[in-house]
Amino acid sequence: MSGFRLTLKAPLSARVDASSLLPEALAGVSAADVAALTVPFGTGVALVGDLFEITAGSDEAVVFSGDPRLDYVGSGLAAGEIRVEGSVGVAAGAGMSGGRLVISRDAGDGLAAGLTGGRIEVFGSAGKNVGGPRPGERQGMRGGVVSIAGRVGDGLGARLRGGLILVGGDAGAGAADGLLAGTLAVAGRLGPGAGRGMKRGSILVTTAPEALATGFAEAGPQDFVALKLLARRVPELAALFGGTLSGRAVRLVGNRLAGGEGEILVLS
Amino acid sequence: MSAPAPLLINGVEIRDSFAEAFPMAGTRLIITADTPRWAHTAAASLTGFATSVIGCGCEAAIEREIPADETPDGRPGYAVLIFAMSLKDLKKIVPLRAGQCVLTSPTSALYSGLEGGSAVPLGKALRYFGDGHQMSKNLGGSRIWRIPVMEGEFVCDEIVGSTTAAVGGGNFLILARSRPAALAAAEAAVAAMGQVRGAIMPFPGGVVRSGSKVGSKYAGLIASSNDAYCPTLRGIAKTALPAEVESVLEIVIDGLSEGEVADSMRAGITAVCGLGAAGGVVAVDAGNYGGNLGPFHFKLHELMAQEAGR
Repeated sequence: MSGFRLTLKAPLSARVDASSLLPEALAGVSAADVAALTVPFGTGVALVGDLFEITAGSDEAVVFSGDPRLDYVGSGLAAGEIRVEGSVGVAAGAGMSGGRLVISRDAGDGLAAGLTGGRIEVFGSAGKNVGGPRPGERQGMRGGVVSIAGRVGDGLGARLRGGLILVGGDAGAGAADGLLAGTLAVAGRLGPGAGRGMKRGSILVTTAPEALATGFAEAGPQDFVALKLLARRVPELAALFGGTLSGRAVRLVGNRLAGGEGEILVLS
Repeated sequence: MSAPAPLLINGVEIRDSFAEAFPMAGTRLIITADTPRWAHTAAASLTGFATSVIGCGCEAAIEREIPADETPDGRPGYAVLIFAMSLKDLKKIVPLRAGQCVLTSPTSALYSGLEGGSAVPLGKALRYFGDGHQMSKNLGGSRIWRIPVMEGEFVCDEIVGSTTAAVGGGNFLILARSRPAALAAAEAAVAAMGQVRGAIMPFPGGVVRSGSKVGSKYAGLIASSNDAYCPTLRGIAKTALPAEVESVLEIVIDGLSEGEVADSMRAGITAVCGLGAAGGVVAVDAGNYGGNLGPFHFKLHELMAQEAGR
């Protein structure tokens, strides 16, 4: 086994950029080597060994003890697994292209920004701009799967280009802003202003949005074979909505103000 | 030196002959619908007029019915196999037939039933019918297309895989004492062969009454009636039929692999022999072209050696 367990020696007093602590970067090195690495810490840098107790892992994953100031965990991950026991800071899983990131509690803002592949599971809640663009980029998440058990903040799926985001709780305001493609599934309530500038893609909800962005047309109810298909091909999608999808939904099409033909499917 | 003893199974002579078959490109599609009836209607339409590549451009038939709990969308379904002489032909014929016969059929959906090999377009070609309103979803490892139609939406996979290891033209002939006996034997064979996955019998009901030979006295005809097996020509043409044979039926088999064609032939001939001489079956023969045209030779004696106890 070449994995490591990185246990914080004390709650972080400043923000840490953990993007360099990836399984593939730590493969084949010793605990002492890991301890000698440096990571951005506040306005300076710190030795990993000064922040973490480093021990051999039980498998090939890199396991962190969490802290809300531990940022960029799993950012750039292409393969392998990272598990966090606790919460993380901002931009967890940003730019991931593969592998698996599991967070046992909450994630901060910018979770899964620019994700192109892989899988992120958050067992708590997540902050703003889940699956949005990385700084300087025009498109948000383009592939992969993100599952959040709890609620998410504002700006869910902004400029989403592909992939699937599953939210077990409520979503904040302004979800799917400029959404281009891909799928959002929200088991709770969708916050106000969702779908502004939405071009394509799908939002699946069970409760009709109360304050959708202007520009959606209701196409009425329909029995969607595609939902029955997705329920079988993507079991976690069905699981989010209680284990099954009847296929029946009301379709709202928009955002017509942006010439878009995205859809919000309000499941029966 | 004495001739080897004829191979007899339940009084039916298995002739020392072989079926000569050819390489083909093939694929499997899965069609579902709201009810078994409409799934069958779409499948039957898709595989209609697809008995022989000679005149139809492809060979196709229903492979099996699929219970709802085994289909991609949980609705009743059918698996069909389609074969063409080349991958290029297959890529042309599959979206053409899917567009005309499945897209148009009420409540239908169309899915890939074969992975790997060269991708044959389904929704990738059909999506344009949506006139810009079509939507795709890339989830669960594959892309689907949703095409708006008057009835609701037509859903299909973007592509289906294919194989160039398919084999077409496996066959055997049932030589019987009467037309009813030949038909009963053919029906028994088709029923048994229907249990073999990966192979189809593309002719009507799985049976051919007009087996052909290569060439004709008429210029431009590449095939004509197999006079050696026509009972009414006995005495004026070189015949392969003993005096007691009044009727011959042929079963042609296409499969996704050589082994599946062999399994299907074996199942069919075994069923024919099950009726036996008492059922009016005289012999089982096979069609070939001397072995010079097709690379796959299904020798009847080898196929049936185990059943004959040899």
